[in-house]
Amino acid sequence: MASPLEQFVDNVRTMSASGSFRELCEVIGKSDEVLQRNTAHLSTVLETLDIQQHSLGVLAVLVAKFSLQQGADVDKSTMFKQIHDFITNCNGEQVRFSPELYAELCHQLTNYLVEIKQPIRGIEILKKAIRKIQLFDSQLTSIHADLCQLCLLSKCLKPALEFLDTDVTGIGSELGGNNDSKHFLLYYYYGGMIYTAMKNYDRALYFFEVVVTVPAMVVSHIMLEAYKKYILVSFILHGKILPMPKYASQVVCRFLKPLSAAYHELATSQHAAIKHRDTFIRDKNMGLVNQVLSSMYKKNIQRLTKTFLTLSLSDVAARVQLTGPSQAESYILNMIEEGEIYAMINQKDGMVVFLDSPEKYASPETLCVLEQQMAACTKLHQYIQEMDEQIQVNPQYIKKSVGSHDEDIPATSQNSKTTYSM
Amino acid sequence: MFEMNTAEPMQVDVPPEDNENNETECYVVENPTLDLETYAASYTGFAKLYRLMFVADHCPSLRLEALKMAISYVMTTYNVSLYQTLHKKLAEAVASAGLPDVAVQMGSQDIPVLDSMWIESKTKKAAIKLEKLDTDLKNYKTNSIKESIRRGHDDLGDHYLDCGDLTSALKCYSRARDYCTSGKHIIMMCLNVVKVSVYLQNWAHVLNYVSKAEGTPDFNEVPGKDSNQSILTRLKCAAGLAELATKKYKSAAKHFLAASIDHCDYPELLSSNNVAIYGGLCALATFDRSELQKQVIVSSSFKLFLELEPQLRDIIFKFYESKYASCLRLLDEIRDNLMLDMYLAPHLNSLYMQIRNRALIQYFSPYLSADMRLMAAAFNRTVNALEDELMLLILDGQIQARIDSHNKILYAKDVDQRSTTFERSLAMGKEYQRRTSMLILRAAMLKNQIHVKNVGRDTGPQSGEAPGSSTSLTPRTFDTVPL
Repeated sequence: MASPLEQFVDNVRTMSASGSFRELCEVIGKSDEVLQRNTAHLSTVLETLDIQQHSLGVLAVLVAKFSLQQGADVDKSTMFKQIHDFITNCNGEQVRFSPELYAELCHQLTNYLVEIKQPIRGIEILKKAIRKIQLFDSQLTSIHADLCQLCLLSKCLKPALEFLDTDVTGIGSELGGNNDSKHFLLYYYYGGMIYTAMKNYDRALYFFEVVVTVPAMVVSHIMLEAYKKYILVSFILHGKILPMPKYASQVVCRFLKPLSAAYHELATSQHAAIKHRDTFIRDKNMGLVNQVLSSMYKKNIQRLTKTFLTLSLSDVAARVQLTGPSQAESYILNMIEEGEIYAMINQKDGMVVFLDSPEKYASPETLCVLEQQMAACTKLHQYIQEMDEQIQVNPQYIKKSVGSHDEDIPATSQNSKTTYSM
Repeated sequence: MFEMNTAEPMQVDVPPEDNENNETECYVVENPTLDLETYAASYTGFAKLYRLMFVADHCPSLRLEALKMAISYVMTTYNVSLYQTLHKKLAEAVASAGLPDVAVQMGSQDIPVLDSMWIESKTKKAAIKLEKLDTDLKNYKTNSIKESIRRGHDDLGDHYLDCGDLTSALKCYSRARDYCTSGKHIIMMCLNVVKVSVYLQNWAHVLNYVSKAEGTPDFNEVPGKDSNQSILTRLKCAAGLAELATKKYKSAAKHFLAASIDHCDYPELLSSNNVAIYGGLCALATFDRSELQKQVIVSSSFKLFLELEPQLRDIIFKFYESKYASCLRLLDEIRDNLMLDMYLAPHLNSLYMQIRNRALIQYFSPYLSADMRLMAAAFNRTVNALEDELMLLILDGQIQARIDSHNKILYAKDVDQRSTTFERSLAMGKEYQRRTSMLILRAAMLKNQIHVKNVGRDTGPQSGEAPGSSTSLTPRTFDTVPL
């Protein structure tokens, strides 16, 4: 066995035993090249290391091993099993020293599974992987995006929901800093798509909104696609395009609108859907566009319930611009069944009687809902207060806020002016 | 209503105003019953010229007469450029009037011809006067007597105004500001600036200077109760005009209502008749019943204004007496004349619309249910058109009612306060949660310095959607959303 590789194994063993993982990370970072050059021997190296004790070492070897396998498909069959073993058995505390490598391994697994078209196999492992690396439940890691991708591909959406439903309060270090924002954007983009598919449009809109409001110097394609879906979902939910939040970056506002003109046209013209059919199909948004169209009719019918007590079916059709009484009837029937409106159809004389919502807000269920909502609000409020307190005790913050006062007091009026201007 | 409020700040600026004018440029008033002679007599200066030009632009039957009057008036000033423009317009008007008409014979007799001698002499005289005023001002400045400098600036401003150079006039008047020594001077300065700003249609400026004048410390101590009143009326009129132009009809009405008839002498801007019409229409469009009664109908000062415009008085009284059909008919009768008013014309449609809506709302307010057939008769409408109108009002939240389209009956809707409160508080709670979690996420994002940037490639941000390393990968291997 070549000596550098032996040295690597030695280093891993001694450092893991002494618990100096930070140094080990540095060694691993430097020995990347060594591992890449000795691909043939990596399997043997793996055998000499213990997954539980030398998690970091094993992780490095695995990443090196699979990052090389573009051409040769020899070991691919074992890849899934090896990664699976590693993720189930590795030492969470150790791998947390190198979240980048850990995430890299998961990305490799995802890409492999996408390639061999068996995305569903990865869902359970990735769930485990996320739980292992997370410091707390609401921490976002770059593996989240992989999990959502696999869920979408396998059309098995529910497993991702437990992660999507928790509001993120912290972000893993491998996502931030100098790394690009791809996985962050992707997580929210995929998440929005999952919620859209689940018809939870409220949440979907929230996710797409996150994507388009990420601070940006340039516009990413992910943002563009998210913005298109943002428009569509906003149509379905509110019947109009919600304005972008003010804190969205300037570039985004400037470039997204002209690039999604076809979608904006949906708001103004009925024929936009037909006119820009090709665009919508190319963007693979035609399904959503169709939903937008039918939701427009529904929105209009809902408006009618606010103004009319009775209305004939043909009048409904004329006011909502449906083709005829029978189509209006089927729309209304569906909406009554979905609980979107409260109405009765009298088939004898073709009249619709619109009723008020039977909800009186007097049931114990309402009270329960109310209490839950209030509890959620209080919890958020508390969290904000905690964040505020954290800032208050932040040494840097104190230094800045107190420091300026220190300069102020002895300074003459002229000097204080200059400190303010700084 | 909310939408209107949010839109308003955007419309305060001047440019939209221009659009407004451009849009209305195209309409033509056919049969006005306007007596141009008396109409023009109530104005002086630019107000007269502008108004005559406006009439000429929009009313073919009065075009020649209006232009002639404008030309003969402009001859008394130094405004050479306007003289030339008016002549050009006159030539066009004569040409388009057509040959076979009697007007040609009549016109050939008394249509004024372009007087180049006059132009030359006036230009010369204006230049001489300008030079004289300029040297005077310089002399005052070297002697640094504040009062004289102020007067010098004012005189120069007057002269510029006479020549039609509004921007220079505005500059001169505003420069006088530094040399004002008493509150009275400041008010005079403000009045001058307000006047020119109105001519320039710079409404924000008008309001600004009106409030400046009103805020002058010894505004109330200006000697002579009468002059004080007349200044106040002028300020109110100018402010009302500015509010009207910026579509704030309610505050415009309030300003006009505060004018006093005995001191309403402001021919440079508007006549007492104008105050009556502007104030009356704005009040009708925006005041509720009790406001209308207290501030318009029994108001001793505004009553006198209304006497000047008996038609409008009748309209307001008919409205108050709930005789909407005749009220609306009378409104339509005076419509043509009002369309020839340069300040009111762009807003007439929306004012009429608001008055109509207010009438509908008031008509229905005492009822629990109302027969739409009767209602349609009261408003000169077909039942279906009325239904559409009502629908818009209901959706806008202005009428709390539902339509029984089957029996054509409008039912008042009793709003369950308790349910709506529940509904709204739940919605508010949801909104709060959404915003707060977005906030927390954003804080985390900023803390971790997540932002979209170019990594690796050197395509600058100017390329728009720059394909950074994060970008081109979106479609990946799939794109089918399982829907």
